[in-house]
Amino acid sequence: MVFRSAKTRIAVGSAAVALALVVTGCSSGKTTGSDSASKTLTIDKAFDLKTADPGRMYEPTGEMVDKALYETLLSFTGGDVSKVAPGLATLKVSSDSKTFTLTLTGTHKFSDGTAITADDVVFSLGRVIGVKGNPSFLLDGVTVTKKNATTVVLTTKTATPALPSILANPALGILNSKVVKAHGGTTTDKDSAEKYLNTHSAGSGPYVLSSLNLASQVVLTANKNYDGSDKPTYTRVVIQNVKGPTQKINVQGGSADVALDLSGTQATGLGSSIKVTSDPSANVIFLLLNQNPAVSKITSNPYFVKAVKESIDYADLVSIAGTGTSQAPGVVPSMFLGALKSADELKTDAAAAKSDLAKSGYAGESVTLNFPSDITLNGIEFPTLAQRIQSQLKTAGITIDLAPAPVATELDAYRNGTETIGLWYWGPDYPDPSDYLVFAPGNVVGLRAGWSATADASISKLADAATIGGSNAERASQFQDLQKALNSSGPFIPLLQPGNNIAAKSSVSGVVYNAVWTIDIAALGSK
Amino acid sequence: MGETARTVRASHPFLRYAGRRVITSILLVIGVTLVTFILTNLVPGDPVAASLGQRAAEDPAIVAHFRAEYGLDKPLVVQYFTYLGNLLHGNLGISTTTHDAVAADLAQALPATLEIAIGAIVLSVVIGVVLGTVAAYRRGKVSDHVLRVVSLAGLSVPTFWLALALYYFLYFKLHIAPGSGRLSSDFNTPHTITGLYTIDALLAGQLDTFFDALSHLFLPVLVLTLYTVGLLTRFVRTAVLEILDQDYVRAARAKGLPTRTVVWSYVLRGASIPVLTVVGLAFGSLLSGTVLVESIFSWPGIGSYAYQAASHLDLPGVMGVGLLIGVMYLLVNLIVDLLYGILDPRVRLA
Amino acid sequence: MTRPLLTKDELEPTRLRWRRPRLRLGRWSSPLGITGAAVAVLWIIVAIIAPVIEPHDPLAQNLAILQAPGHGTLMGTDELGRDVFSRVLSGAGVTIPLALLLVVMSVLIGAVLGAIAGFFGRWVDELIMRITDLVMAFPTVILAMVIAAALGASLLNAVLAALIVSWPSYARLTRGLVLALRQSNYVVSGQLLGFSPLKSLWRDIAPNIVGPILVLASLDIGTAILLLSGLSFLGLGAKPPTAEWGSMVSDAIQNFDSWWLGLFPGLAILTIVVAFNFVGDALRDALDPKSNTLRGGGLTL
Repeated sequence: MVFRSAKTRIAVGSAAVALALVVTGCSSGKTTGSDSASKTLTIDKAFDLKTADPGRMYEPTGEMVDKALYETLLSFTGGDVSKVAPGLATLKVSSDSKTFTLTLTGTHKFSDGTAITADDVVFSLGRVIGVKGNPSFLLDGVTVTKKNATTVVLTTKTATPALPSILANPALGILNSKVVKAHGGTTTDKDSAEKYLNTHSAGSGPYVLSSLNLASQVVLTANKNYDGSDKPTYTRVVIQNVKGPTQKINVQGGSADVALDLSGTQATGLGSSIKVTSDPSANVIFLLLNQNPAVSKITSNPYFVKAVKESIDYADLVSIAGTGTSQAPGVVPSMFLGALKSADELKTDAAAAKSDLAKSGYAGESVTLNFPSDITLNGIEFPTLAQRIQSQLKTAGITIDLAPAPVATELDAYRNGTETIGLWYWGPDYPDPSDYLVFAPGNVVGLRAGWSATADASISKLADAATIGGSNAERASQFQDLQKALNSSGPFIPLLQPGNNIAAKSSVSGVVYNAVWTIDIAALGSK
Repeated sequence: MGETARTVRASHPFLRYAGRRVITSILLVIGVTLVTFILTNLVPGDPVAASLGQRAAEDPAIVAHFRAEYGLDKPLVVQYFTYLGNLLHGNLGISTTTHDAVAADLAQALPATLEIAIGAIVLSVVIGVVLGTVAAYRRGKVSDHVLRVVSLAGLSVPTFWLALALYYFLYFKLHIAPGSGRLSSDFNTPHTITGLYTIDALLAGQLDTFFDALSHLFLPVLVLTLYTVGLLTRFVRTAVLEILDQDYVRAARAKGLPTRTVVWSYVLRGASIPVLTVVGLAFGSLLSGTVLVESIFSWPGIGSYAYQAASHLDLPGVMGVGLLIGVMYLLVNLIVDLLYGILDPRVRLA
Repeated sequence: MTRPLLTKDELEPTRLRWRRPRLRLGRWSSPLGITGAAVAVLWIIVAIIAPVIEPHDPLAQNLAILQAPGHGTLMGTDELGRDVFSRVLSGAGVTIPLALLLVVMSVLIGAVLGAIAGFFGRWVDELIMRITDLVMAFPTVILAMVIAAALGASLLNAVLAALIVSWPSYARLTRGLVLALRQSNYVVSGQLLGFSPLKSLWRDIAPNIVGPILVLASLDIGTAILLLSGLSFLGLGAKPPTAEWGSMVSDAIQNFDSWWLGLFPGLAILTIVVAFNFVGDALRDALDPKSNTLRGGGLTL
């Protein structure tokens, strides 16, 4: 009975299929077809995507996607994030770094063919502030006013030398205000345009959004109305969610053209048909040792901190991480203004470590090292790193107990400043050293290390000087002084600046790593 | 089960039995939501920390807005009853990770899981019934022993390891199987009708998309099938052996009916109900048991969604998955129970 | 998911006949059972003496990293320069005791609750059975993730999560057996003789349900190992630097080309689970020839 009906079902099923084929005729679901002008580019990325709405987006995957969909008032050229270039507008800054006048160049159009106006700019920036999303802080204390149809003025109460580089962030991409408003967009937290912006794009970027699935893939198609300098070579781009190791297989096996999350080890031995671009990323992995005696009597001892700094074998950590990774000279990554030179980085010194450890009164107690167990940063797995540090410190006579937890739960302990020793990383919010003032005593990350505002007056003074700023040369030396002091007596141990390895088929040209948006998809060409 | 049973005043004892089971199932669904809710709220982590960025989480205004948006500012009891109330309207809440309705998310993820689960169960039933019947008929012979080893081995392979090994060899080394995901990237997703890419492609008449989707099913289905085949083979063998022992089958065989007829008309028909039961339950556990396979093949199904939701402390997301899997399981159980109620009148009195 | 399918008793509750468990050595000594038992015993011995026979310290990171087998090591080295062979051996001592602990605890909890449900019937039965339904309707991975998040990832917490989902199969089996036995003449006559419910359970019923439970338990050891290593694979079990097979396979993914990282721990899991399954299958033939206990079903994860 059962089998007979199964048979019937198969028969009915095949009849239905046959009918469907006859009725619709056989078409192709393939996008490329025989047309040689249209090309699909497949990019493998380990997703941390939450949204494509620029007003709410603040994750690396989102930055890359929105860079392709939207244009910003200012921009960076290629991989150079130290100099801001004009984007949709040109910039004039007042001498006190408090007034920023932006004039639209008027050469770009939205994907629906309409012109970009100052109203769109005011709406887009106002929306980022108003919806209270993840990128809202970028424009904290910034007032946006329209001067005329092509000019917008941004004013701040305090000097904000970092604002130009903030304006290059794809989260501040300019939206087509009419379209967004028509789909529930406002500049308040009542805004409901996110759903629309996750299915369509409303910008002037080289691509438009074709489809988006947060868990699996994002499909972009070329913007027909785009006439900027970044005219895309590929008419269709598929960004698919694939974990690092599988990316390697995919790019070797041919089902992906570009792989973005390979570790140093994975990026070696890929063969001649694949080109690897290795650059230091702007992420800095560091250890924090809690300075709050209530959390730990051991780690709050300055000699113990010194001993740990001298016990870690930095070169060995670099070699474990593989190609592209270097030791982080300080908390500010090497490509930013004010970064330290490699001569100033922390050094291993077993003998000094021994005497400092003796001075600290440490007697072999077990110290807990907390770390997020599910973070893989540029192919470096935190558990691997933590185990290596544990092993290195064991050699130096320090007993470490590893305490992994999913990042979602561990973040709480980190942000509340209750970790004894923590292994974390800082990714830049914008490519300016002022983003790293958080490491000063009493500031956000400082407090996470139990480092109160009154803990170290000399470092606080250096931080205050760096906050006020000055010319680029002045700022550079201010931040270098601050970091030297942090390295010698702060509770942070900058460990690694992981290499960002991008593997691409040799037929793909124009692969350039950018610390803000990883790669500019539109800049990718074909050889 | 006294009270609820008496409230259903159906004239027919079967209807009364069915009513009782349905009500129990509904109570269980509510139980599942309660347990999920309590468990997810026991987690020490804060969904705010997990969902908001570094800087946003430092801003009290943004945090307050986030809590209000997701109703996290209300007492837990209120949160739970709000959830139940919304549930009555089919509203599963808004996911804090995808910022989209959980119901819509699940509707998108479920077909992906269904596609591999259906593939695996169909393949397993075909293979399992054939192998199980053969093993029963050849009881004690070499082929029976070989099949026993094979099916036990199938039950013993760690799926996550097998999936990796197959991906490594069949895709990477030999290029026989396609890469991860549901479709090669140069294909457009077929217009959604059922959400099953193979079916949708056929309905759209796109044969090349159909074959591409089918080829992507190959590895995940293979991995899932191996386990279920092992299970079904053992079960079918037992069930068939039992039937072969029955007088009417002995009589049929003694009469000299051809083996083919005996197998089709007597043995498989007799064994079909217990086997169907197991198939139903195996299917239920396939639906919830694909996390590892999905994570290895980058398959955007229920398992991946559950993992993502849990790792972001996405309470509505976790609740939604718990509820969906619970409902599926109870539904399968209910159908099985009712089938037995129909087939075996004694059950109703139990 | 150690989510059991129905036991045959539940499918056909009335057909069950009481049977005294009898070891039929003829069948039990089937070559498969013997092979399985030998492999399982071998692994248990390895688990006990691993610290002595390991060629290297399984935690020491003192060898060249990612070295293929043969250069002074039997199974190569991992991404931190640890000896894979020593870690595989050491992993036996981690996984096997915990899997056994899990099964024993599940049996104890499940059998006691199942016996109570079956023996006392009425609302006790209803309550316990609905709890088993509830647990079985709950997805294991979510449960494990929540427990790992709440209590911290560790193997013991993974065992706890697994325990919560695995006792109901024993409760259901025991309940079915007790339910059928409760009506049998000798139990009733025992009660007429004035046996207290406890005494009746212990003297007349318990000896008759040991067989099927033992069979289910022996088949479950394999499932338990798969479940625990699966949870570790997802990062919800073993804590680094513990050498655990599931987490070793998980680490191997990161270095796909170094096939030895994943192959050997995977084979270790496979061989031990197959071994226990062979033993369980042979035990079933011996103790429970009509197969009243169908193996708990469903994927491990």
